[in-house]
Amino acid sequence: MTGFAGATGRSSEPASVHEMAIARSIVDIAVAAAGTENARRVVRVNVLAGELRAIIPSQLILYFGLVSRDTIAEGSHLSLETAPLVGRCAGCGDEFSLKDLTLVCPVCRGQDIEMISGTELRVKDIEVE
Amino acid sequence: MKINVMTDVLEANDRIADGNRQVFDSNKNLVLNLMSSPGAGKTALLERTASALKGKLRLGVIVGDLETTRDADRLEKQGIPVVQLTTGSACHLDANMIAVALSRLDLSAIDVLVIENVGNLVCPAEFRLGEDVKVMILSVTEGDEKPLKYPVIFRESSLLIINKIDLLKHTDFHMDEAKANARKTHPDLEILDVSCVTGEGVSEWVDWLCRRYREKFGASIRA
Repeated sequence: MTGFAGATGRSSEPASVHEMAIARSIVDIAVAAAGTENARRVVRVNVLAGELRAIIPSQLILYFGLVSRDTIAEGSHLSLETAPLVGRCAGCGDEFSLKDLTLVCPVCRGQDIEMISGTELRVKDIEVE
Repeated sequence: MKINVMTDVLEANDRIADGNRQVFDSNKNLVLNLMSSPGAGKTALLERTASALKGKLRLGVIVGDLETTRDADRLEKQGIPVVQLTTGSACHLDANMIAVALSRLDLSAIDVLVIENVGNLVCPAEFRLGEDVKVMILSVTEGDEKPLKYPVIFRESSLLIINKIDLLKHTDFHMDEAKANARKTHPDLEILDVSCVTGEGVSEWVDWLCRRYREKFGASIRA
């Protein structure tokens, strides 16, 4: 049901970094979604990746190309949109960038901060023929 | 033609993790995902834990390692059930590897199951295994700035163990700095200072395990 590495680890596939497992999962999701519309092939896959996910785009795109081979997603374009890290202060409601990941409100110095963007990792939509 | 998907990329992994979690819960296992850099002392901590937990809670371990069974061999000497997963080139464990490993353990004979992840501060934090709690080790020889460089793993962990405190005097590691850095990204982070060499802090760690076990199952601790 999934494309994750087997328990013995003696898989015949290339070296696995987290981008590899993520690429495989993206291909599975895209192929399944295309199947629901009886599409012939996937042209484009749009992914939203939060900054906190520490994904290296060039690696993800490389692995996506490899693992999509021999599927209807082969040759499709993987588009990565990065979601910036944004926090919201529960105290004063201020929204601010969490660039250095310091969870302190710049306005009221409150420490009850919710991350409202930057942790997501989603296949948004796909384009098919 | 455009198809709306909006599916979480790690959903397949998370689904298997949820299945693992159900198996753990029905067997009354408190499950820890133990993460750190290579050489921070995961196996040394578990060796200490095996003897310190005796008579309190029954420990079991799943060890993930790129190659060799050295860690598993060390732990088997402690007389606890151990399953070794050799991940080959994978830099982390995922839920499916754990699901497969479960058939090799008698979970009904385990109270605390520790999954020793592959040594790495990046990837393991991304993949839920079905654990109750993530615990990470930072050793003082790694430097007090690590929480700033690898914020995700510090944010995901409920407990930070600072290990090798017996070496503090030989390093420029500042305890206050390290803790402040870790709490910048995770204000509620619990922190324990430990030396697996001298045994300092090990009893606090065992107390922490017993407390978490009681919190999960409410029951009195079995012998």
